[in-house]
Amino acid sequence: MQESIVRFENISMQFPGVLANDDVSFDIKKGEVFALVGENGAGKSTLMNILYGINKPTSGNVYIKGQKVEKFSPSDAISHGVGMVHQHFMLVPSFTVAQNIVMSKEPRKYGIFYNLKEANNITRRLVEEYGLEVEAEDTVEEISVGLQQRVEILKTLYRGADVLILDEPTAVLTPQETEELFQVIRKIVEEKQMTVIIITHKLYEVMAISDRVGVMRQGKLVGVEETKNVNERILASMMVGREVLFDDIEKTGEPGEVQIKADNLYVADNRGLMAVNGVSLEVRAGEVLGIAAIEGNGQSELLEALTGMRPVQRGEFYIQGEKSNGKTPGQIRELGLAHIPEDRVATGVSLQSTITENLIIGKQRQSAFSKYKLHLKQSSVVRYAEELFEKFDMRGSGIETAVGSLSGGNMQKVVVAREFSFDTPILIIAQPTRGVDIGAIEFIHKQIIKKRNEGCAVLLASADLDEVFRLSDRIITLYEGKITGEFKAGEIDKMGISYYMTGSRDADTQKEEGGAQNE
Amino acid sequence: MNKLTDSLRNNKSYLTSLVLSIVAALLIGAVLMLVTGYNPVEGYAAMLKGVFGNSRVFGNTLAKMLTLCLTGLAMAVCSKAGMFNVGGEGQLFLGGLAATMTGVYLQGVSPLIAVPLAFLSAAVVGGFYAWIPAVLKVKLNVSEVITTIMLNSVAIYFCSYLTNSSGPLRTDDKGVLGGTEAVPDAFMFDQLIPRSNLSTAIIYSAAIAFICWYVMKKTSVGLEMKVTGENPRFAFFSGLKKDNIMIWAMIASGAICGLVGMFEVYGYQQRFLDSISNEFYYDGMLVAMIMNYSPLGIILMSFFFAVIDIGAGAMELSVGISGELSDIIFAIIIFLMAAEGGIRKYLNEKKIQKKAREELELRKEAK
Amino acid sequence: MEILAEVFNIGLLQNTLRTATPVILAAMGGLLTEKAGIMNIGMDGMILVGAFVAVSFSFACTSAAMGVLVAVLVGILIGIFFAIFVVKLKSDEFIIGMALNTFAGGLTVYLLRSIFGVKGTFSDKGIVSLPTVHFDFLEGIPVLDPLLNDNSIFVYLTWILVFLTWLFLYRTPYGFWLRAAGEHPESLETAGISAQKMKFIASILCGVFCGFAGAHLSLGYLTMFSEGMSNSRGFIAFACVIFGMANPPKVFLAALLFGFLQAVGIRLQSVGVPADLTAITPYLATVLMLVYIVASGDRKKKNKAKKQLENI
Repeated sequence: MQESIVRFENISMQFPGVLANDDVSFDIKKGEVFALVGENGAGKSTLMNILYGINKPTSGNVYIKGQKVEKFSPSDAISHGVGMVHQHFMLVPSFTVAQNIVMSKEPRKYGIFYNLKEANNITRRLVEEYGLEVEAEDTVEEISVGLQQRVEILKTLYRGADVLILDEPTAVLTPQETEELFQVIRKIVEEKQMTVIIITHKLYEVMAISDRVGVMRQGKLVGVEETKNVNERILASMMVGREVLFDDIEKTGEPGEVQIKADNLYVADNRGLMAVNGVSLEVRAGEVLGIAAIEGNGQSELLEALTGMRPVQRGEFYIQGEKSNGKTPGQIRELGLAHIPEDRVATGVSLQSTITENLIIGKQRQSAFSKYKLHLKQSSVVRYAEELFEKFDMRGSGIETAVGSLSGGNMQKVVVAREFSFDTPILIIAQPTRGVDIGAIEFIHKQIIKKRNEGCAVLLASADLDEVFRLSDRIITLYEGKITGEFKAGEIDKMGISYYMTGSRDADTQKEEGGAQNE
Repeated sequence: MNKLTDSLRNNKSYLTSLVLSIVAALLIGAVLMLVTGYNPVEGYAAMLKGVFGNSRVFGNTLAKMLTLCLTGLAMAVCSKAGMFNVGGEGQLFLGGLAATMTGVYLQGVSPLIAVPLAFLSAAVVGGFYAWIPAVLKVKLNVSEVITTIMLNSVAIYFCSYLTNSSGPLRTDDKGVLGGTEAVPDAFMFDQLIPRSNLSTAIIYSAAIAFICWYVMKKTSVGLEMKVTGENPRFAFFSGLKKDNIMIWAMIASGAICGLVGMFEVYGYQQRFLDSISNEFYYDGMLVAMIMNYSPLGIILMSFFFAVIDIGAGAMELSVGISGELSDIIFAIIIFLMAAEGGIRKYLNEKKIQKKAREELELRKEAK
Repeated sequence: MEILAEVFNIGLLQNTLRTATPVILAAMGGLLTEKAGIMNIGMDGMILVGAFVAVSFSFACTSAAMGVLVAVLVGILIGIFFAIFVVKLKSDEFIIGMALNTFAGGLTVYLLRSIFGVKGTFSDKGIVSLPTVHFDFLEGIPVLDPLLNDNSIFVYLTWILVFLTWLFLYRTPYGFWLRAAGEHPESLETAGISAQKMKFIASILCGVFCGFAGAHLSLGYLTMFSEGMSNSRGFIAFACVIFGMANPPKVFLAALLFGFLQAVGIRLQSVGVPADLTAITPYLATVLMLVYIVASGDRKKKNKAKKQLENI
């Protein structure tokens, strides 16, 4: 039995309204590669931020090398030998590679001066020792993301880390860079006896690199397994969890005209990297097309492009038959589209404005609510807001409350109420129930299906597979910005679809299998 | 019934801290007077007398108030939409000069034509000068704070060049140091209180203030501005033309500043001097910031500021205490409010942490 | 020709150095806060207080050194005061900067009146001004002698301080931390160094520099204190910081350029060209420079995205 190097003991982390970690206990052993998997929001990053001292747990203890952690701060974690490579790199863009690597422990001359030459030498020695090729004197903002990641790793190594946390390290890497990263991990574990904790949700990577794997779901640790004793199927079922039983929702009517059409779309993410790689799809009136994809595979960018929030790099898309490339969200809305955004706080509401104001936005110039498009008819506005407040079952101290003080579920109801009451023939919905309590989930689901039954074309993306299965008439899977499969409801189960979501099967294999079955 | 209590509660705690800050600032002012050998009771009494003593001084106070109020509203209008117009001083100079020259050139024309044209020129020139940084911000994302600060100096020096020594717009009158020709008497606003600075400008100001309040609080445009300023991404998402909203808010702000410049000239100065404003816009900005850009609050607070400002001037004349005490008091109010805001944020964070712990306890017990 | 000779002579360069010095000093302070990620528009007030304190203590202690020393100490206090609000309480740096200017303007005039019983200007034989420096070896050398000899000691000190600022920012670890605190505070924090602390230090150093600038203004450049004598130098310094992209040598040159244009303006006045017009140039140049910097940065980003597409 290897010795334990990190020990979590009954860790709970409560953020206002969200229990991010719920009584988590496990050990990480010296010299292993430990993979921590789970859907977004499962609490992996929170747990690792606790280990790195960024968050202080609300209750519970952390032991590193048998020593109880008393003070939670990155510098204490560093002195315990913990290093972390964050998902968003912690590098100063205008500094050179070497300057970033030695930061906070710079080599000095005469006590106060920075020995820049020595910093370069140190970097070159590290590069040689670990085989992580990178040029010491390059400026960080001018090198590729893959190289920046190496700088991050070298930074932790320079500070003497022997426990290395990698937070979604492959999310920004090309397949080749990923393979190189894995080689580095194997090397430092084998040759330097380091311990590596890797946070990910790509299951084939877990199989490829880890010795043991811990699965988290909704803040709880579902289990820790030897990687050799599990396979992707088992892991997927652990991640997705047991089925939440909801009443069946009655779906009526037949699909009608094509309302949304995308033709070979390419869309870039915020960093300018292509996130959607040639997606074509159609959504018809009276159907829900669900996108099943693991976070970060282009679904966010795809929906943002279709709603005009993000420019399209190549390809075309049509809303109600009208070509809509280059249109603003306002122009696209006028074509008959409403949109529930993925991140309601960043995009979907104005926090300092009241519920009333948030509900009326978009309709403020309609004659029902303003005279001459200008003078707000206060009483109609209030009546309308109160009506929606009732209808969408919002709780709280009334329509004059600032939206920023609402719970996640109530805030989402504000967004849903506003967008659904535009009565548009098209709805684009992202993560409709993220961070929302069970009661509100049921309510929002029913509203979506009601819209569908009324003849609305709905495009839905959700990280919650239960949700996608429950609501969709058709499901497509996205992996790395490409469609890997398309299924009718009932044609496939969650286990089966997770292969397509994790990239281990794609449309080609699907066809082959389909062909095989036909024979 | 309880729908109003929440917003009231927020406003109430803000008002409480504001009143406390003002009282504290006045007390600090009193201590300062004591330390420097004056009698604070005497000082503040002189201040009040200097404001309410007779109709003339009270008229001056109201005239000061309208300047503060309009500059404050100019700041509020743009910052509501998320734009920081620090360049009001320059817009005031240019608008004032434009209106003055309009008046000078239209000598002999009926006031019914000339005065509205003067209004127009002041608003257009002031608005245009605010449009430049607005476009740079919206289209190129160049910080409007920095550009407006720079453009202030450009405008002030430019006006000073035009109206001083051998500048092209300098008056030919002998015996004056500088400035433009005088605006014809027929165009000047009527004095409301003899020998005071108070003119019918206060009526126009009241109209502008009403429009500002009305647009910001009662209209669809005001709502669009608020949402744009608070969360531009949400505004874009909701289909608002956020770029236009931001640019027009800035133009409106500049236009108001231009009108303030005009009122200074047409109200009592009669000719444009490069001393037209002694950083009036900065005072107005402070008022707006203290009141969190609330239109009604700005109107009230500008009265308080005017009282202190005019009162301090009178205090200097009668008791010999430097009138700059007013600036000290204003600054202290801002520092105290800022500190209070910071401390409140800090306490809030503590509260949230405590709440989180309690929530966890409850969950544990429930198990 | 005659006009040119009257404007562009050695006296012009002398004036440039003299007028630029207080701006350079304040700009070095503003550069440090800018690098640490604080937009500091309160420098004008800081300079004003420095000037007042320097005159007061030079007069009271009949020692210019005491004047400078106390100006620096008070500068430190103002720096701490500023940082408490902006860094610790996270107040709006813009509001606090403006309030600081108003406060300084009010307080100096108030104290001038209460302590010295004068309004407007305080000048007295009892105020000890800063010494000038004379280098014997420069005597008789054309250009260098009139230019570099007999300047106030602060003129020379300023050059040293510019070099020290550069040395601090680019050749010591602390300078790197300070720049990291402004550019990417999270990376500094995760490396175990408090970004807040670095911002505090930057703010305090800015107070010191503005104290120097004020002391030079009232004890070196002139020997008196007058109401509002900083005369927007804090804002000019801020413009220099932006114009010089917060790089010490560039900011130094920007300040010299400001000083030069001002000096040219004063001289042009004597030949009938309005000084106000020359005074506009630096501000206008700063706006254009800013637009240029931002626009070229934008272009870079766009090119990046284009390249990506070509690879599809």
